[in-house]
Amino acid sequence: MTVQTTAGPSGPSQRPPDPPPRWRDRDRQTLAAWLFLLPSLVGFAVFTAGPVLAAGVVSLLDWNLFSPPAFAGPRNFARLAGDATFWSALGNTAYFTFASVPLTIVVSLALALLLNQGLRRMAVFRSLLLLPYATITVAVAFVWVWLYIPHGGLVNTVLSAFGIDGPAWLVSERWAMPALIAMSVWKGFGFGMVVFLAGLAAIPGQLYEAARIDGCGPWQSFRRITLPMLSPSVFFVVVTAIIASFQVFDQALVMTNGGPAWQTTTLVMYIYRTAFENYDQGYAAAQSLVLFAFIAVITVIQFRLQRRLVHYDH
Amino acid sequence: MSATLSRRRLLGWAAAGGLAATGLLGGCASGPAGAATWSMWSNSPDEGKVWADFSTYVERRLGVPSVPTLTPSDGYPTKLDLQLVSGTASLVTAVNGWLVPTYAARGAHRPLDDLIAGDPSLDVGDFYPATRAISSFGGRTYAIGFDVAPTVLYYNSSLFAQHGIAPPSPTEPMSWAAFRELAIEFSRPENQYGFTCAPNIDDLVSWIYCAGGNVMNQAQTLSTLGAPEAMAGLDFVVGLFARDRATPPIKNLVTENPLANFLQGNVAFMQNGPWQVVNARKATFDWDIVPFPAGPAGSTPRVSGSSFAVPAGTSERDLPLAWALLKTLTSTGALDIYGRAGRNNPARRSAGTAFRPPPANLGIVQRILAGELAGGHPFDVTTNWYQIRQLLAQDLPRSLLGQVPVRDAVAALTPRLDVLMSQHQDNVRLAAQRRR
Repeated sequence: MTVQTTAGPSGPSQRPPDPPPRWRDRDRQTLAAWLFLLPSLVGFAVFTAGPVLAAGVVSLLDWNLFSPPAFAGPRNFARLAGDATFWSALGNTAYFTFASVPLTIVVSLALALLLNQGLRRMAVFRSLLLLPYATITVAVAFVWVWLYIPHGGLVNTVLSAFGIDGPAWLVSERWAMPALIAMSVWKGFGFGMVVFLAGLAAIPGQLYEAARIDGCGPWQSFRRITLPMLSPSVFFVVVTAIIASFQVFDQALVMTNGGPAWQTTTLVMYIYRTAFENYDQGYAAAQSLVLFAFIAVITVIQFRLQRRLVHYDH
Repeated sequence: MSATLSRRRLLGWAAAGGLAATGLLGGCASGPAGAATWSMWSNSPDEGKVWADFSTYVERRLGVPSVPTLTPSDGYPTKLDLQLVSGTASLVTAVNGWLVPTYAARGAHRPLDDLIAGDPSLDVGDFYPATRAISSFGGRTYAIGFDVAPTVLYYNSSLFAQHGIAPPSPTEPMSWAAFRELAIEFSRPENQYGFTCAPNIDDLVSWIYCAGGNVMNQAQTLSTLGAPEAMAGLDFVVGLFARDRATPPIKNLVTENPLANFLQGNVAFMQNGPWQVVNARKATFDWDIVPFPAGPAGSTPRVSGSSFAVPAGTSERDLPLAWALLKTLTSTGALDIYGRAGRNNPARRSAGTAFRPPPANLGIVQRILAGELAGGHPFDVTTNWYQIRQLLAQDLPRSLLGQVPVRDAVAALTPRLDVLMSQHQDNVRLAAQRRR
């Protein structure tokens, strides 16, 4: 029996092509898109773009919050040049950033690789390791203050078991910043670890299989496959970690209050003090803009570098 | 009734919620019209009870609703700043004495001299002279005190008895030499210490005053920390930390707490204000207070306190209620509530009998303030004391830790301190111009 199939008038093959959308439809779609974007745009305008613009205006003023502001021109920016505390805070922030970010990346990646070995109950381990990241920084900082107590604190007790006489971490000019960095790495590795785990899960298994057939060892596989394939994740974590590190504040305030001898005074802490303890709003705004510029420059450099170092698997 | 939530209804609820939140926030900005609004710091339920009693007293006296805004002391200045700037501050705001010049120089609070002069019912003479000094700036009164106190010396009498050492005189200040000798003696056994104080300028300054020195000269134009008198005071107290090892080791510059150290029961002396009496009563050992040790200039430790002030933005219409409220909050009746709660440092002489021992020697606080024994030095601060405190908090503790000789630390910070003094003078000049 031969069956002849004839598409009816409403069959897909016979359907006339859709007419081009009328202006009214397109307008409606555009409007809907804008309406969906609106909450986010309003939030961005009110809480991000607005304050940045306001900081630009305030940076040109002498304003103590209570009295009417007076125009200062670029004087607040000129003051930065001779402000030793500002440069020292910038140096401390850079030290913190360039020590804590690589360490965080290494720890995150190592743990992600470990968890990616098909461990049983990986979800439990992943949740446990993510806990520090999910905990409020101030609470973590207070716990670490106790860990760092010179006599009887956990850190020095462990060190003494190895015959090491630990320092008074948070009051030592030499060790206060490394102590903050260690705490921050512990607090922050969870985020990178989760991003790396997602990146590792997206690497096709046949790449490793092919590499094994070609005689690659684990180290070569890691260098030639894992790292390049993971480079977008690494780039994302590096950019966000550097931005966050340049804004470090809570842990330094709680654990050392910027001391001893300004060794842990970070830029954001100095900006906060200038604005809300010294009531020098214009100068604080100028400092904020300089910080913004530093972060912007570093981020642009990173985006330039990613063209050469980051591999996207299209 | 349909269980599904339509988008329209969701949006409607969101809008209604937004409006309600806006209304609530608006309501938070100020109290009801005609209410006596006032703000104060409060750190514990016990303190909250004191302020609740104040509030009841205000309602009884003024016949209007009393609306106190209580905030933990750490966040109080920031909240007050925001309220002052946004015009939502209470009619009367509590202000720590060391911040009076800071706020006054910026025009945040209203001078009260005209109100004081026009109101014979306010007995200015009933307030201790020290509280009047603390509440003034540039020759004008910006606040009325509610508490004031000299720093005193707490001692663990159980520890004295245990060592067979006679307790110090309840009225006669010890000499520095005698004090140091005792501090060293009590530090001999392991895990026992002679003395504890906070490693910051608020406590160190008492030793400087007792040595006849100061942080700055009288005109507040230059730092005098490097002068021989101030150095003698600093050297003495730094010696107790770094040379004599008579103090508990500093674990952390942020959380170091002399009261917590003292309450451990293994510290013989603690430098602190009498406002800690109420907390020290939790001690599991016997203790009392005595006058601060006398240095070359005598027993003249820091005298500090707190006051109530009226924001500069208070309207003429609200001013009579604000003034009546200010007078009520600082009246003998209100301060008696304060005294009865164990706060033994009310700013008025007439309220000084409200508190009761323990400890037995509590009454010396009022006798010191009245000039009957020992002495005190009003806390000299500048319009940028936040910055000066911060500078000193960074550099001086290095000496207490034995990392840097105190002379070197002072020499290093003096140029920056002088810059801050000059900025303070700018603030003073600007404030004078604004007044004209």
